[in-house]
Amino acid sequence: MSSLLLVLLLAAPAAAEIVRRADRAVLGESATYALKMTVVRPGKSERVVEMKGWKKGDEHGLVRYTSPPKERGTAYLRNGDSTWLFLPSAEKVVRVGPKQNFGGGDFSNGDIFRLSLTADYDPVLVGEEEMLGEGCYKLELRAKDRSVAYDKVVYWVRRDGTFYPVRADYHTLSGKRLKWLEASKVAKLGSRERPTELVMESALETGARTRLQFLSIQDDAQIDDRVFAPSSLERGE
Amino acid sequence: MMRPLLPIAFRNLLRAKRRNALSGGTMVLGTGALILGSGLSDGIARQLTASLVAVQTGHLQVVVRADDWEPQNSPFDAYGQDELPQAVALARRLELEGAALGVERAVPYLHARGTAIAGNRTSLAVIVGIDPEREPELQAALPPAAGGFLPPGDALAVYIATPMARKLRLGVGDIVSFVIQTPQGAINSHDAIVCGVFTKSAPWYDNTFYVPLTAAQALLDWPGGATNVKITLRDGSLAAARSATPALAALVAGMDLGAPEGTRVRVEPRDKAGRFSYSIIEANQTALAILSGFLFAAAAVGIVNAMLMSVHERTREIGTLRALGLRRAGVVQLFLLEGFALGSVAASLGILVGGALVLYLGARGIVMDTMTLAWMAGGDRLVPVLEPASVARAGLAIVLLSTLAAVYPARVASRLAPREALQHV
Repeated sequence: MSSLLLVLLLAAPAAAEIVRRADRAVLGESATYALKMTVVRPGKSERVVEMKGWKKGDEHGLVRYTSPPKERGTAYLRNGDSTWLFLPSAEKVVRVGPKQNFGGGDFSNGDIFRLSLTADYDPVLVGEEEMLGEGCYKLELRAKDRSVAYDKVVYWVRRDGTFYPVRADYHTLSGKRLKWLEASKVAKLGSRERPTELVMESALETGARTRLQFLSIQDDAQIDDRVFAPSSLERGE
Repeated sequence: MMRPLLPIAFRNLLRAKRRNALSGGTMVLGTGALILGSGLSDGIARQLTASLVAVQTGHLQVVVRADDWEPQNSPFDAYGQDELPQAVALARRLELEGAALGVERAVPYLHARGTAIAGNRTSLAVIVGIDPEREPELQAALPPAAGGFLPPGDALAVYIATPMARKLRLGVGDIVSFVIQTPQGAINSHDAIVCGVFTKSAPWYDNTFYVPLTAAQALLDWPGGATNVKITLRDGSLAAARSATPALAALVAGMDLGAPEGTRVRVEPRDKAGRFSYSIIEANQTALAILSGFLFAAAAVGIVNAMLMSVHERTREIGTLRALGLRRAGVVQLFLLEGFALGSVAASLGILVGGALVLYLGARGIVMDTMTLAWMAGGDRLVPVLEPASVARAGLAIVLLSTLAAVYPARVASRLAPREALQHV
């Protein structure tokens, strides 16, 4: 059995290559997209926000709320290492931390804007197993340093050649599982098939989860760098 | 001349009983109000100071501050934000080398902010890592309402405030998780079991979770580190803390702790570290001083009025005294002594009334049932105290006021010519 596992592992792509391909499985290098976020909290009514997003590489990202009307115009911007939040009601742009939660849900700003795990983690392929009904590579990603949000990520990526991420468990420094992400509902959106729903669930707060549903995606979009300037937040461009 | 005039002055109080009773009554009420005000003010000062010393600063503290740090006048100013390098070793050395400077105990603690999660409830959390065996004052200041204080050697224990236990629906034996972002940036967590729930204290401790120092160090990824070292002196007075500060600062500077760039290790006496508490105390004292001013003014007008009436009514008597050889200075002395006598009697009665009221309220405590009052008093209950110095100050002030208020009527009386006075009807 152990020799069979060894053969399988030797035949598998390198761990770094799996992570790199999984990083691009949902959104490519640059894209524009429409998104619906549903925040679920036990005992409270669901909060639904729709938004439009722009992404260019791992360093630039912008998300603007399009509904509900009272929150329309709220925007998060990622530019390099900085993340800003624009609140139209206060007409203020404030710098926020990458580890702060995004829109009151279970995703952090970093989870939304820095979907790439390649830059921050050293991956190790630890095996292959079924996860959510899919044959997957199981990887263990260790943070490259103590400044990375999650010290360890256990990552399951489909091994059918699509490299779609299936699940990621995020662990704290103490080794506790903090939350997990499941990617599902593979469908054609834009130019290709991909997982269209991401659900982040808290391992600590019972029943708390946030669902992101991609409504549309345009890959390889040409996006002007000025879109990602902090000054564009207030202009609503 | 003084000796025979003093009994006359006291006896004269009985000659216009109603008028003197009214002016004296004003002063009795004034003295009582001053003593009650002082009792409340002293009670607040004692509560805030005791809580500050026991929970946050000790008599003075060592803390790392950024070079451009400005206090926000918040109850959390005393807590350090940056790592105090080698804090545990520093505390040990301060106890050894600071003994000659009056140091009795030096205890490190670690303050951090994060999120507490229990079931589907969350709250902002102030997490304080302490060495439970070396914090007797803190234990006394925050006694358990259920369960017990942090037991020594139990790395998983957490001691929480009553309002937080209610908010997160936690009881003794329940599990609460903490999530925190370490200063370096990683996210870390710690699961703890509630060992006790402490009695409601100052509102700013409602979100505080006490955990063992080692657990807090692991949570922040700061092995051996802390944010503050709380120093207890053998002489706990503020003056002793202030005078020990420069020598202890020099001692700490000589230890070369290697504070992070842009920061400095500082030794702060408790009034500087706990500016927020001391500003409340000062505000109360200022309010009391203003109130005293108005009380004094009202009482002084009453006394002057009563004395002038007395001078008018006793014109013939003054003329007789002058004709019998009493000099002008003697007349002045007589009226001043009457003012003194009235003040002494009123102050004595006022002390009895005010003192009894303060003792009664001190025994029962005053419920501070709004958030504003709780913040002002540093707790949900205010226990007024009868400080001998405050009582003496209020009594002396009234006697002095009464005597001084008699100056003008005394001068009016002394200017009366004996012949005209004797003709006065």
